[in-house]
Amino acid sequence: MYSPTSHPWTEGETLGHHLEQRGVSRRDFVEYCGGLCAVLGLGNLAVPRMARALQTLKRPSVIWIQLQECTGCVESVIRTSEPTIGNLILDLVSLDYSHTLMAAAGHQAEDALQSAMKQNAGKYLLVVTGSVPLADGGVYLTIGGRTAETILKEAAAGAAAVVAVGACAHWGSVQAARPNPTGAVGVSAIIKDKPVINIAGCPPIADVITATVVHFLTFGRMPATDGDGRPLFAYGARIHDQCSRRANFDAGQFVTSFDDDAARQGWCLYHVGCKGPATFSPCPIFQWNDATSWPIGAGHPCLGCTERHFWDTMTPFYGRLPDIGGFGVERSADIIGAALAVGATAGVAAHAVATGIHEARRRRSLPIVEAPGGGSSAAPPSSPPSVKE
Amino acid sequence: MATTKIVVDPITRIEGHLRIEAQAENGRISNAWAVSTQFRGIEIIMQGRDPRDAWAFTQRICGVCTVVHAVASCRAVEDALGIEIPPNANLIRNLVHGMQFIQDHVIHFYHLHALDWVDVVSALKADPAGTARIARSISPWPNNSETYFTEVQDRVKKFVAGGQLGIFTNGYWGHPAYKLPPEVNLLAVAHYLEALDWQRDVIRLHTIFGGKNPHPNFLVGGMACAINLDRAATINAERLEDIHGMIQRAQRFVEEVYWPDLIAIAGYYKEWGAIGGGVPNYMAVGEFPDADVRDTSKLYFPRGIIMGKDLTTVVPYDHLKVKEYITSSWYEYPGGDGVGLHPWEGETKAKYTGPKPPYQYLQGLDKYTWMKAPRYDGHPMQVGPLARMLVAYASNHPDVKPMVTDLLGRLKVGPEVLFSTLGRTAARGMETVLLARRMNVWFDQLVGRIKGGDTATFNRTKWEPSSWPAKAEGYGYLDAPRGALGHWVQIANGKISRYQCVVPSTWNCSPRDGEGQMGPYEASLVDNHPLALPEQPLEILRTIHSFDPCMACGVH
Amino acid sequence: MSTIMAAPPKPLPRTGNYRWVSLWGVPIRVMHWAAALSIVVLAVTGLYIGKPYFMTSGEASSHFLMGWMRFLHFTAAGVVVMTAVVRVYWLFAGNRYERWRALVPVSRKNLRNLLRQARAYVLVRPEEAPPYLGHNPLQQMSYTMLYAIAAAQVVTGFALYGQYNSAGIFYRAFNWIGPLLGGIPNVRFIHHEITWVFAIYLPIHVYLSIRADVLEHNSTISSIVSGGRMVPADAKFQDD
Ligand code: HEM
Ligand code: HEM
Ligand code: NFV
Ligand code: SF4
Ligand code: SF4
Ligand code: F3S
Ligand SMILES: [Mg+2]
Repeated sequence: MYSPTSHPWTEGETLGHHLEQRGVSRRDFVEYCGGLCAVLGLGNLAVPRMARALQTLKRPSVIWIQLQECTGCVESVIRTSEPTIGNLILDLVSLDYSHTLMAAAGHQAEDALQSAMKQNAGKYLLVVTGSVPLADGGVYLTIGGRTAETILKEAAAGAAAVVAVGACAHWGSVQAARPNPTGAVGVSAIIKDKPVINIAGCPPIADVITATVVHFLTFGRMPATDGDGRPLFAYGARIHDQCSRRANFDAGQFVTSFDDDAARQGWCLYHVGCKGPATFSPCPIFQWNDATSWPIGAGHPCLGCTERHFWDTMTPFYGRLPDIGGFGVERSADIIGAALAVGATAGVAAHAVATGIHEARRRRSLPIVEAPGGGSSAAPPSSPPSVKE
Repeated sequence: MATTKIVVDPITRIEGHLRIEAQAENGRISNAWAVSTQFRGIEIIMQGRDPRDAWAFTQRICGVCTVVHAVASCRAVEDALGIEIPPNANLIRNLVHGMQFIQDHVIHFYHLHALDWVDVVSALKADPAGTARIARSISPWPNNSETYFTEVQDRVKKFVAGGQLGIFTNGYWGHPAYKLPPEVNLLAVAHYLEALDWQRDVIRLHTIFGGKNPHPNFLVGGMACAINLDRAATINAERLEDIHGMIQRAQRFVEEVYWPDLIAIAGYYKEWGAIGGGVPNYMAVGEFPDADVRDTSKLYFPRGIIMGKDLTTVVPYDHLKVKEYITSSWYEYPGGDGVGLHPWEGETKAKYTGPKPPYQYLQGLDKYTWMKAPRYDGHPMQVGPLARMLVAYASNHPDVKPMVTDLLGRLKVGPEVLFSTLGRTAARGMETVLLARRMNVWFDQLVGRIKGGDTATFNRTKWEPSSWPAKAEGYGYLDAPRGALGHWVQIANGKISRYQCVVPSTWNCSPRDGEGQMGPYEASLVDNHPLALPEQPLEILRTIHSFDPCMACGVH
Repeated sequence: MSTIMAAPPKPLPRTGNYRWVSLWGVPIRVMHWAAALSIVVLAVTGLYIGKPYFMTSGEASSHFLMGWMRFLHFTAAGVVVMTAVVRVYWLFAGNRYERWRALVPVSRKNLRNLLRQARAYVLVRPEEAPPYLGHNPLQQMSYTMLYAIAAAQVVTGFALYGQYNSAGIFYRAFNWIGPLLGGIPNVRFIHHEITWVFAIYLPIHVYLSIRADVLEHNSTISSIVSGGRMVPADAKFQDD
């Protein structure tokens, strides 16, 4: 029976003391830190430092606001897999505002938010799921009568750091897909005065979220990120380069239709649209739901859900190339391309024939000239293409 | 006596952004407005897309009922293109959807609904020995010892003493409407924590068949998970065994924890069997096909409609009688606001006319929500577990009928209490038990088919767009955890030309229509509904939560 | 003007006074054929990468078909880049037929000739085409465009290539391409489509070379092997 609130801390208690109370040995704890360092790609040297930092830590406030979203990201966090790792991490914090889980409603809920922001000003961690609809004055999402933009700006102002969890908070996700009717944008489009870390995915794997939070608590700063604000420990490598079906890719062994023989052998899903070659995500390594499986592991191509605008650039999901302009590129472009190449060849051939006819006519109209140094030959000195080619 | 204006925004412990406005007089609710405050426009976004991609887009309508839109979408496209999926794929979808129900309902009961009935602070005063005694009297669950409950109580004590209440901050602790003895409160708190762990385990069934949860993968024409007993990367004996274990653990928890807890708690709140009935019409589209989904005679939960609480007649359902109205909603229709449109003519054109945020009240405005108002043949309908159980009960369903009779007998009440807030919560538990048992049947059927040599999971005949007609339209129905769901798709030249969803929460959270008929949330709140302390609207939460609202679903 | 009209009669007499014009230096010739060969390899392997038609069966470990295709693609890509470097250097170091000026038809004369050349092609009146020793303006334009397209192909190719290692030099050097084009799938799309531009260009290019040779006896084809042409001693050319 492990769960976020089942081993609560008392005020002022450190994690070290807390774990001792719970009968967690020093050795187990260091081992646990080693596991975390491995997840974070930090290497063994960082273990003592993490252990020291975590042991002296007090339970920090986390405020989780939910904006324009589907709640899938919240559900993902609720599924944090590894009992020890997942629950220890959730044990680390005081979740002071969470739409989905909190007991209070209405203005009591909003009061809880206000007082958490006030009491922990400058120190709390702000977690955001969901996007911010900017069109038409923000009327596409209000909470307590206020727009998402207002709420986000207010909550971010006093935050020590901002974690944007999921594709919605990252860049808008499905509601930002063409034609983005509500003008949905991600957190980093609004919050410019402090770093926003993007936990990419629709939804992301829970362990990535929790590990990022631990990193922040341990080192007092966010993990290193790529150009898109995604932590490198999770999003530093492509799915394609870590995939269990890569050997089949290299061998030239592809599923061409679902449930064909190749699918039943577990071959590569490239042909049926896998977006692994363009997607940076730890899915093949961390896997999903207590390392049970992952999309490609269960036979479905990757949709590219950790990449910006994947609803537009990675679709059609079962095609290899994006459908730019929506006219069916996969089907048409290669046909058009091949047709033009054939057409060019045919055009060239026609031109050659036309040139031949023209030349023949012209030559017939030319006077016969004496070929120097040789018997008279009927002009023109023929060098018909047929001979040369 | 003066009218008190009430606003509860946000309604927490639900999916999404719901605002309830009400008026109270003499400790009762006299008027109510249900407001959905989020719009995304997914129906608009669907236009011009590949129909085979639609499941993934519409799945993101909701991450809580993460299965249902994907399957409804596949069914709609399969209906339009005339695709029949292999029996294995149907069984796998049933298993995935079945586990969705079970997990969703348990989470709803413990994590979303329980705090409306359970006073966490009161649990501190409980005698753990008494809790253990009660627990043992209702269930053989192994964690029913005094030591166990003492441990849980110590943790909660320590938590409260720490002063950082986290998610329990500002709850309505001590509210006079809380009726449970401290011992039962402690029981519920313990199981609140236990259920958190349990759900994480059993939902892995989705991960095996669909690669992840939330948002597992589906496929038009079947399922993408190939079956091959001789490979590691496919569904094999090891995977099937894992699934089997999850099904057993799911069933055990539902039968030995969830259902007994529900009955025990309901026993203290019987008066809620006369509160919050609301709209008297109940609609189920049916779910869990045993054969092709278009054969509506082979559904585990039957299809049909109960009108005016009349359990003697089941009215047949015809999807062509579904229409959506926008009289009270922030949209416009080309033909004017007065008309209703069947989803195949449906339009989603946002037109906000509400006050500029920040605002205080919406009550009294002509248009006040993003929710459309679906009507069946002009009538508002309640959908959800209660509608399903009533339709099945009235159809003499061999599993449902005895279950309902048994429950009413144990609570010593008549069937009329079903039309209430309590009835909705009880029906949810009941169908969870039935589905947890039913999972075994589907599992055995799947294993039996594989044993017999059938491993097909996908029908490829209509996969290529070149095999599609120039124009096609389809209807995909599905009875989701929160009720009757429909996806309607039209396809022109290989692309989606129109996509409309009418969702359980659209039915239940519907605003008033042109004739002034309220939707189920609103009607329930004004149906014999108490409100002891307008400042602490606990009773509103009870009735609203009994529907298990999902706003992202309802508006999309 | 009249010199133009008095352009060498076509076809050339088989005997007479001729002079040797040196057009293409060794670097250009070697590079031309190296580039030509690798572009063909790139197109063939690229189209396989884009849509693997052939498959292997049995254990994955005993095959490396896609692996070889990609290896060939990347090796040929390296060759193309190498030829490009030499060619760019030669744009400044080469003779006047090879220098960058000979690839951009910007002077008024060249622009006028561009139209005349196009007219001659379209109306099939080769005798009306203004004579050039090196590239005629239409060729100048088409080669310049081809270079631009090849550059786009190289840049998008490396943006795709860099993805295998996000800490690597290629990733860092070409990481601006993806966002610029709206995502890596768009980069792949453009890379894929440009391949068709090459496929269309190729028959035209080869045809025009052969045609010039046949019609004018001007040894175009051999010029890209031998490096120059024999032209009538008295003939006048636009770019003499
Ligand atoms: C029968 C085969 C070919 C012949 C006779 C031929 C002939 C020529 C000639 C005479 C030139 C002008 C010289 C120059 O400017 O460098 C040229 C240029 C060029 N050719 Fe070809 N070519 C052939 C095949 C190819 C192929 C297969 C390609 C590859 C796509 C190719 C690509 C180019 C390019 C890129 C140039 C411009 C080079 C430059 O100006 O630097 N050629 N070709
Ligand atoms: C004329 C030159 C080239 C042609 C015609 C060509 C053609 C192609 C084609 C058709 C594809 C398949 C695209 C798809 O459908 O995914 C491809 C892929 C690729 N090309 Fe090229 N390419 C050229 C030059 C280059 C260069 C210079 C590079 C630089 C390294 C490059 C790197 C790549 C890479 C990395 C891929 C993707 C391979 C994979 O995803 O495994 N290409 N190329
Ligand atoms: N309402 C609703 Fe759903 C369900 N169950 C969908 O169809 O929750 Ni998000
Ligand atoms: S990122 Fe995806 S899963 Fe998360 S809230 Fe948005 S749509 Fe849902
Ligand atoms: S399945 Fe996808 S990610 Fe895996 S090797 Fe094939 S293309 Fe790459
Ligand atoms: S779809 Fe998303 S979950 Fe992983 S395998 Fe692809 S990144
Ligand atoms: Mg709708």
